[in-house]
Amino acid sequence: MSRKKLSAISRRSFLKAGAAVAGTVSMPWVASAQAKTIKIGFPTILSGRVAQLGNSSRNSAMMEVEKINAAGGLAGRPIELIARDTKGQPQEAARVARELINTDGCELLIDAEASTGAFAVHEVARDLGILCMHTNSETSSLSADPKLRLPNAFRCARQGVHDSVIGGIYAAEIANAKNLTRWATCSPDYAYGRDTTAEFVGYLKRFAPKVEIITEVWPKIFQPDYTEAITKLIQAKPQALYSCLWGGDLTSFIDQASIYALFSQMQFYAVNMADYTALTAVKNLPPGIHSGNRYIKTFPATPANATWGDAYRAKYGEYPTNWSWQNALCLNFLSEAAKKANSTDGKKLAEVLRGLKINSPFGADGTVTMRAEDQTIVGYAIGWGTTIPKEPYVPEMKTSPWAKVFELEAEWKKQKGYA
Amino acid sequence: MNTSLRKDFAFALAGFLALALLPALTSSTALLDFVIRCAALGLFATSLNLLVGYGGMVSFGHGLFFGLGAYSFGIIMQRLGMPIPLAILVTVIFSGLVALVVGAICVRLTEIYFAFVTLAFQMLVHSLIIALSQFTGGDQGLRGGIPRPTFFGINLADHSQLYLFCAGLLVIGLLLMRHIVSSPFGYTLRMVRDNAKRAGFLGINVYRTRLTAFVLAGMFASLGGVVMSLFVSGAYPEFAFWTMSGEAVFIVMLGGTAAFLGPLVGTVVLLLLNDYVTRIAEHHGLVLGLVILFVALGLRKGLLDYVMDWRAARRIRAEEAHPVSALKGD
Repeated sequence: MSRKKLSAISRRSFLKAGAAVAGTVSMPWVASAQAKTIKIGFPTILSGRVAQLGNSSRNSAMMEVEKINAAGGLAGRPIELIARDTKGQPQEAARVARELINTDGCELLIDAEASTGAFAVHEVARDLGILCMHTNSETSSLSADPKLRLPNAFRCARQGVHDSVIGGIYAAEIANAKNLTRWATCSPDYAYGRDTTAEFVGYLKRFAPKVEIITEVWPKIFQPDYTEAITKLIQAKPQALYSCLWGGDLTSFIDQASIYALFSQMQFYAVNMADYTALTAVKNLPPGIHSGNRYIKTFPATPANATWGDAYRAKYGEYPTNWSWQNALCLNFLSEAAKKANSTDGKKLAEVLRGLKINSPFGADGTVTMRAEDQTIVGYAIGWGTTIPKEPYVPEMKTSPWAKVFELEAEWKKQKGYA
Repeated sequence: MNTSLRKDFAFALAGFLALALLPALTSSTALLDFVIRCAALGLFATSLNLLVGYGGMVSFGHGLFFGLGAYSFGIIMQRLGMPIPLAILVTVIFSGLVALVVGAICVRLTEIYFAFVTLAFQMLVHSLIIALSQFTGGDQGLRGGIPRPTFFGINLADHSQLYLFCAGLLVIGLLLMRHIVSSPFGYTLRMVRDNAKRAGFLGINVYRTRLTAFVLAGMFASLGGVVMSLFVSGAYPEFAFWTMSGEAVFIVMLGGTAAFLGPLVGTVVLLLLNDYVTRIAEHHGLVLGLVILFVALGLRKGLLDYVMDWRAARRIRAEEAHPVSALKGD
């Protein structure tokens, strides 16, 4: 009797307990299947002269990844960002990108490479069909040239032509008001330097027809000594000087030109000055340098932007760079797209990304749009102002409406045969 | 076909079959990518060793031909749309012609003068690549991908077929270079390397011998460039920059100059180190620097040279210990 009773209870209990155990044991598997980590490949430059920018890209991306993961991940899947050094070499960028996809199992690619590497990664995206977000290349043709365009590649970075339009309009206003007709240029001797300078000068002359370029100097990229360029500029006696030197080249040029008192003899327009790395690296920053914004936390002058800049500084002990905000914005776009698509599938994300408008601290009006026609961002904040040697470095930024940028960009595309 | 050539051919066939079987053994695309990169740099470094190891001409500008190969092939495919084998043939011949012009000036010089003039030519070509942006894409490189039309049923847009094709080019290239260094010309080249004056007195045209080696090395280096351009589907100015030549010199140093396969061993070791160290460490330059120090100061010769010398020394020791059995051939 007792045996029978024991047996009946035992069988039921056993089944219940078995079900409970099976359920408990399988829960993590079910949960893990639902929330399987999504790996995002992040090829960038972590060694050499541009390493600081690559590190700042990774830092800002990690900061956003932490926020997204805390909020439940990308469509419910936690993100694992795998950053790897490409050494700034295109063949290494292609190799690393392929390795991230084929070996590490990355499902998305954030290409935080400079331009040459970006074009190499672009070809990997073409070959493997993976969703690729270019976050640091400013070369306009990457997204503007229809021959290069891919349905699975997007650009989440500023563009040379956009900067040149706003810069040209800003400089022309001052040139007209102060009758600055004699201009010189000093830019690095490679495609970015020549193209950006030509675009700036084109828009400057368009809005200030009296402007004349009296001399041009083209120092080599990473050139340590600018004496020859500086003396040539001083001898030409221009009223204003434009430069798209950047990073260490720009700071070296300013330090060396200050010795010759160049900045007291002419107005200086440096599109890449207003970035904390450049602003803090110059030993004696001359006041009154005209610059386009790269990243400063006071432009756009919104609490959201200031909060983001301060949070980055609190976390990493330094201010973000131009590359930082672009990578942060990319993660914001991916997060928003995943929410709308309710998926992390590259094709579905790409469909949603086309034309997607998101709220952003980096937007001119608080929003940034991924333009559908060429899959590149528009509406981000671009401004020009004059520097002071201490924070906020550029107290007042002037800007132009994006409608004007669109109008002139459309003309530029026609001229280039892109439209 | 003599015994040596038959042996080389059998070895090459076995090598190709082993590489061809690799995709059946592993599904790792990264491993296949690794072999493709080894093919590109292996051909490049082995061709440099024709000059350094066999000719005694240390070229600092050999990257010129690697870059020239990548760009010529890319431009031909993008603009002319030739069949791939024909495009490769035209590229190699064109590189040979350029090597003939450059070599005609350089091989008259020796030692440091030869090294620096080759470097000067390389920088000239690099500057031309940057300047002729309407053809080369300037410093942004050759963009838009390299078309890979199907030929003889081979579709290089398919990764496994690309892998087999590149492995085939590697094996054919190495076999041809092996044949060159094993031929009377190869021995003449060594004689010129060891004592150019004596070779001259023996009736050898030293200039022509060196020039021939320079042209052949340029042609094989361009074949390496073709493989690399197929892999990255583009061509970039870095391929023709002096750092590329520096990398090849280091590979040759690492693998060894005396053994024919030394540069290939150097390529495999360097790429393994590069790929592995880049994955696990940020300061990979430090690790690679230590390896260079170890090879330069510790081994004082390339890896394969070291292994071969060690084996030879062991054999000599064994023969000295058992002179009679050694004579009997035991």
